[in-house]
Amino acid sequence: MNLEERIRIEPDGSVTAFSGKIEFGQGIRTAFAQLVANELDVPVERVRVVLGDTAQVPFDFGTFGSNSVAQEAPALRLAAAFARRSLIGRAAARLGVPATRLDTRDGTIGDGDGKRVSYADLVREAPLAGAVPEDEPLLPPDRWRLIGRPLSRVEARDIVTGRARYTADVRVDGLARGAIARPPARGAHATRVDDGAARAMPGVITVVHDGDIVGVVAEREEQARAAADVLEIDWETPKHVPSETQVVPLREDAGTDAALASAALTRSATYTLPSIASASIGPSAAVVDVRPDGATVYAGTHRPFGLRDAVAGSVGLPKESVRVMPQMSSGTYGRSSAPDVSVEAAVLSKHARRPVLVQWSRAEEFAYSPSRPEAVLEVTAGLDASGQLVAWRYDEHTNVHTAAGPDPRVAAMTSGRNAVPPYVIPSAQVVLHVEPTPLRTANFRSLAAAENVFAIESFVDELAHASKQDPLAFRLRHVEDPRLRRVMERVAEVSGYGKKLPALRGHGFACTLYHGTYVAQVAEVEVASSGAVRVLRVWCVVDPGLVINPDGVRNQVEGGIQQSASWTLLEELRHKGGRVATTSWDTYPIATFRDAPESIAVLVEGDASAPSTGVGEPGAVPTSAAIANAVFAACGARVRDVPLTRERVRTAMAAGAS
Amino acid sequence: MRLVLTVNGTTHELDAPPSASLLSVLRDDLGLTGTRFGCGSGQCGACYVIADGRAVASCLMPARQAADRDITTIEGLAKSETLHPVQAAFIAEDAMQCGYCTSGMIISAAALLARDAAPDEAAIRDALAGNLCRCGVYGRAIRAVRRAADPEGGRGEAPAMST
Repeated sequence: MNLEERIRIEPDGSVTAFSGKIEFGQGIRTAFAQLVANELDVPVERVRVVLGDTAQVPFDFGTFGSNSVAQEAPALRLAAAFARRSLIGRAAARLGVPATRLDTRDGTIGDGDGKRVSYADLVREAPLAGAVPEDEPLLPPDRWRLIGRPLSRVEARDIVTGRARYTADVRVDGLARGAIARPPARGAHATRVDDGAARAMPGVITVVHDGDIVGVVAEREEQARAAADVLEIDWETPKHVPSETQVVPLREDAGTDAALASAALTRSATYTLPSIASASIGPSAAVVDVRPDGATVYAGTHRPFGLRDAVAGSVGLPKESVRVMPQMSSGTYGRSSAPDVSVEAAVLSKHARRPVLVQWSRAEEFAYSPSRPEAVLEVTAGLDASGQLVAWRYDEHTNVHTAAGPDPRVAAMTSGRNAVPPYVIPSAQVVLHVEPTPLRTANFRSLAAAENVFAIESFVDELAHASKQDPLAFRLRHVEDPRLRRVMERVAEVSGYGKKLPALRGHGFACTLYHGTYVAQVAEVEVASSGAVRVLRVWCVVDPGLVINPDGVRNQVEGGIQQSASWTLLEELRHKGGRVATTSWDTYPIATFRDAPESIAVLVEGDASAPSTGVGEPGAVPTSAAIANAVFAACGARVRDVPLTRERVRTAMAAGAS
Repeated sequence: MRLVLTVNGTTHELDAPPSASLLSVLRDDLGLTGTRFGCGSGQCGACYVIADGRAVASCLMPARQAADRDITTIEGLAKSETLHPVQAAFIAEDAMQCGYCTSGMIISAAALLARDAAPDEAAIRDALAGNLCRCGVYGRAIRAVRRAADPEGGRGEAPAMST
């Protein structure tokens, strides 16, 4: 790693840091600014963080898997530490004082006797550069001013004043608006486009039919949409050829069948989760300016370099001539790993010879976005006479969980994520079945972990009750990892888990270890006689290693819990023959202010001796099981199908009572 | 058609198609992009503005209907560099993640506090029920509105302001 790829000291002494990761509201810009400011001993306001601009940042594969801080924190800290040491070296020469007698303070370097020079002065003649040693010493913890300090996000003032510019707010000179004519079925090709009426409409600049893309470019969005609506198009729908099912063994111990056959107690259950929408509040948008010699792409994307290559390919430009400049983006939770809207805007721009903004309508966003796959989880386990787990068989049936399509090399870490439980089990068989689906699917927050952990943590709860053990004690007797044990015990303590609650109220427990982050949760719910579930409170203890911004972590985990509660109680993307039927907030409701729990209490108790890990996804992972387990505790209804609708809960209540 | 609109205390004259919504005129003609497009059917709250004291969905309001109203957008809440109390409280509580829905939430909260200086939590939830947030900052936003209504009220440690 070269310093100049990561850190630049500007002529005014401010600092610019570079990363290929993308901000979607996770707070990584703030965390990165804190890390760099801390290491360089400057106020955080003096650090500007450039994220994902392909002309400025080092290559990055993508913003996935709550990996941004885990991957980038070490690199940015090392680079900043090297920059600080390089500045001290220059100051020693400039001041004629040995480097050992110099120290940094607030963007300056001095010897304590009044000799002092600013960072700005030290870079005036030549910028800092050079290879960053992998063993560059970091600032010792007793010098930290910013790591571990709560800080509201650096974009906050722009956000609350409306000055923040999201992709759809980009207003470049000559900007035109695009609208796409959508095919009746996925993969359909336009064989004939009659655009006579459309071209005569006010504001229309051109009508485009290029490959599978049919659309209109106009001066205003209303005009583009109105003209797209009157295009007469013949579509040809090729026969859908489903992909083949991939069977991927994730754990294959010997003797599982025999151990199940001889177990003192065996139980089996099947859990289901539906497709759900990413349901971003801001529909997908892109502004693309294609010129003969290159293109500029303003977009929200998880993969700026992948998007660059996709856009270049779509308009026949060399990828080096395409620059992706990521903008502030509505949270999309993985959905923006697909290049779709940017490719549409690029193709329209190429033909219109104008920069073009395409923003999908709400209905397009629901109907044509990739969604989280559905899952069917079948599990059987055996306990010995003492109540110890002896065998576990788990079959996960789901679909591809990435925008890249079926890929056996990544199936285990994507569609199979968190399918292997964090518990000590002598013999287990865990098998992933990646099955075809007519829907477009892609990355969504935590990929398959939320589905698998719902099944595993619900089933562990069932096993505990079936063997007359306390659900927490049953889990703990199968957990060796001390960090997992600690978050489990702490959340039980702060929530009062196990205490007596009023009728039709219950506490449910669930936990996970997700990409190095430890999470344990207790949900408290109230179940009405109608079967309606209200989440009253959630407690969560999270250990993400060394914590950079404790309030940033809390915010992410609270949000994950709130979003996951919405998935659990409300959300199901309905579809038939590959067509999505739920294309508005009426038919695809998500949680509102009225549904929000009275409190979501997140305790951030990171192990400061462990590396920093991510928090964007893990908070959302155990919540569905915590709620379902709480529903069982409240009323004896075991609901194995998400969402936990009032009909399902009422039916399960009746079954539980009989 | 020719329109005369009063937005954030300034009167603008412009040409727009008769079908143009207030949202489209704000964003595309007046450059006030802080009001966001979310759904186009008044179901998400991202495009709320204050019209004659009430928070309304600007995507549903034809621009020509806005002509005889006093419109305030998110850009008009702060008095030069002094933030509206709701804006300051949203920063203090870090009541945002991606921030896309934040303009609409702040508009709803400002309209609420203008008619009820001391709303209880149920009133806050009702007033903001039309503002969808996918990132899940509802709890923080409720705390922010309470803070704005009662800046001296007792509460826990808030994060340092980074701006």
